Amino acid sequence: MNLLLFVPYVLKQVTRHGVRSALTVAGIAVAMFLFTAVQAMNTGVTIATTESANDTTLVVYRADRFCPATSQLPQDYQRRIEGVDGVVSATPIKIVVSNCRTSLDVVTFRGVPKDAFLDEHGENLTLVAGSYDDWRSRTDAALLGETLASRRGLRPGMIFDAAGITAYVAGVVRSSDAQDQNVAYTALEFVQLAGRDQLGIVTQFNVKVREASMLERVSADIDALFDTAQEPTATFSEKAFIGRVADDIIELVGFARWLGLGCLAAVLALVANSIVLSVQSRVAEHAVLQTLGYPGRLIAGLIMAEGVVLALAGGVLGGAAAFGVARYGNFALSVEGASIPISADAGLLVVGLLVCGVIGILAGLVPAWQASRREIAECFRAV
Amino acid sequence: MRQLPFQYAFRNLGRSRVRLGASLVGSSLVVVLVLASGGFVRGMQLTLTQKPGLHENVMILGTGSEEGVERSQIDAAVEGIAAASISGLMEQAGVIYASPEIHAALPVRESSSSDADLPAVMRGVRPVALLVHPEVEIVRGRPPRAGSDELMVGALAATRLGLPAERVAVGQTLYFDDREWTIVGEFSAPNTVMNAEIWLPLTDLQIATNRESSLSCVVVTLAGAGFSDVDLFAKSRLDLEITALPEREYYASIAAFYRPIRIMVIVTAVLIASGGILGGLNTMYAAFAARVREVGMLQALGFTRLAIVLNLTEESVFAAACGTLIGALIGVVLLDGIAVRFSMGALALTIDAPVMLAGIACGLVVGFIGAIPPAIRCLRMPVTEALKSF
Repeated sequence: MNLLLFVPYVLKQVTRHGVRSALTVAGIAVAMFLFTAVQAMNTGVTIATTESANDTTLVVYRADRFCPATSQLPQDYQRRIEGVDGVVSATPIKIVVSNCRTSLDVVTFRGVPKDAFLDEHGENLTLVAGSYDDWRSRTDAALLGETLASRRGLRPGMIFDAAGITAYVAGVVRSSDAQDQNVAYTALEFVQLAGRDQLGIVTQFNVKVREASMLERVSADIDALFDTAQEPTATFSEKAFIGRVADDIIELVGFARWLGLGCLAAVLALVANSIVLSVQSRVAEHAVLQTLGYPGRLIAGLIMAEGVVLALAGGVLGGAAAFGVARYGNFALSVEGASIPISADAGLLVVGLLVCGVIGILAGLVPAWQASRREIAECFRAV
Repeated sequence: MRQLPFQYAFRNLGRSRVRLGASLVGSSLVVVLVLASGGFVRGMQLTLTQKPGLHENVMILGTGSEEGVERSQIDAAVEGIAAASISGLMEQAGVIYASPEIHAALPVRESSSSDADLPAVMRGVRPVALLVHPEVEIVRGRPPRAGSDELMVGALAATRLGLPAERVAVGQTLYFDDREWTIVGEFSAPNTVMNAEIWLPLTDLQIATNRESSLSCVVVTLAGAGFSDVDLFAKSRLDLEITALPEREYYASIAAFYRPIRIMVIVTAVLIASGGILGGLNTMYAAFAARVREVGMLQALGFTRLAIVLNLTEESVFAAACGTLIGALIGVVLLDGIAVRFSMGALALTIDAPVMLAGIACGLVVGFIGAIPPAIRCLRMPVTEALKSF
């Protein structure tokens, strides 16, 4: 039997009680909006903290510190770090954040040696607007991550003020690295001069290692090198470092996961409620279908299909709305100079729809089973 | 207008126990969620708002650090210079209310053998801090002594560190800067950021953070002087690179900084509540649709449409009110006062009168909105057709 022939029947059943179906779809859309938003936060945490086999970057921080304001390392550590076997380069970075607390609109300045930074890191960046030459030539020039520029409405040529620093926007860059998307790169000395007695002081070194397999050994060597120094170091892989400083956000997202599960339960309840009500009011109709020779499992299938249609309709609406907000809202949770993007891609939407489909089937399972097993005579008597 | 008795609505609730159960669970869940999010927002608001009537404090911090005192660095001499230069600061028994402080976020460990870094917010202070911050009350033990590796903890410090309360009781130790520190006191500063902090002597924290010659800020208490006097001092001493900010304004700016988070929490609560309303509407539509003939009969008996709508609404609102009471009870018993760790501090969920009012109103609105549209729809049908239905 060609099941596609029954698509109009299923759609007709769904639209038969327009208001009720609309209410169900609206409820599912709300729940799926929250679920997709939570998943987008979760994806951001995964992207920012999951290490991959190709990671070759270490972060050298001041030991026993996790705040950029208190991690102060002498810039001349760079030469000694570069002398460690396996180190390709060490980039000194001075970080200034508008606020050490967690929120959605933190501005992070990263002071870097411009030429060395572009040599080492330039291949990961795509210039979206402005020019690198402009950035190189002006002392107060900043290269903004696309997320930050978009969130603050900044374009090349504009002046902006944050964290007590007034900077000129020389360019906007796009990067696959979440940390680049939400920062302002400026000259190292420019950021150092913004603080008191900070010339020659940096927050961290980003160290490029020759091979991923060397990360552990090199980090141990670096820490051993400065073990007895006045400013001892603690070296982490880049992703582990972000996981360490963004502990609060990770906890918040962990809590939000429960909210996401609650949303799925709400979708299940809404669809199930709608299907149960719909099946209850159509007992006689199902009896007629059975009398006409439609098998019980086909009737069960049609009922489950109704659940899937309702769930998918709500899922598309809610998921697409959350996708749009996450994608074009350019939100990122920031703390201590680390950034966790609220990241949405098409995959997230597809997963949401798949989940909706499964929930639609689950919600229709019991009423479908009951309807398919009911005796015809009993059905007619029930009316 | 002849009214239907309330008993009629009340007895109708028992017709479908499943539906009644769903209404109770739905409305109580909505109320609990509204109370939780309202309690979070209220707790944050109270923590970052200074109570009127306390001292009027002004913070002197580094220029450009107005958004966060943690990254402020000013010369250690500012305290002495400010106390000598600004006349009209509060003074008691020869002690001028000028508190030099270091605010730092540092990782601490439970012991030297522990691997886990616990994020702590530390404040290095001198005894004068207890005069400048009268909200702080030492509830157990004593203040820490300089040079003795001692510290005292706020009432919510355990939550901030993610440790059980008994682990940071007086007599216990914490490990940082390569040595054990003994907890000698516990203080309470309800509804302030200080409640989640660890306080230790200023010089000890200066040594631990290698900033012997600098401070984060100096907090002064005004008596005869006004803010303009402190502001004038800060502006006239360009060499010190300092700025003055009323303490109330500083915390108001922190509250403004958290605005997106608060909006996110409120939007989530509103979405959940609207989901509850939509679910309730759906159930009521089905429930009332099944009673078209009954409604037709009531009309035939002479009850007006308004009386019937009122009775159907009573039924829905009564069920929602019962659910609201359950939700409110859960909120008061289980949520009120719960300490939540949040971004460089901790706060207590606060279910006070305004939050409770919002929760109850929300629960009742769920019942009210859930009933009106289905009831009106149910009454649209002419009496004869309603009686003929089914």
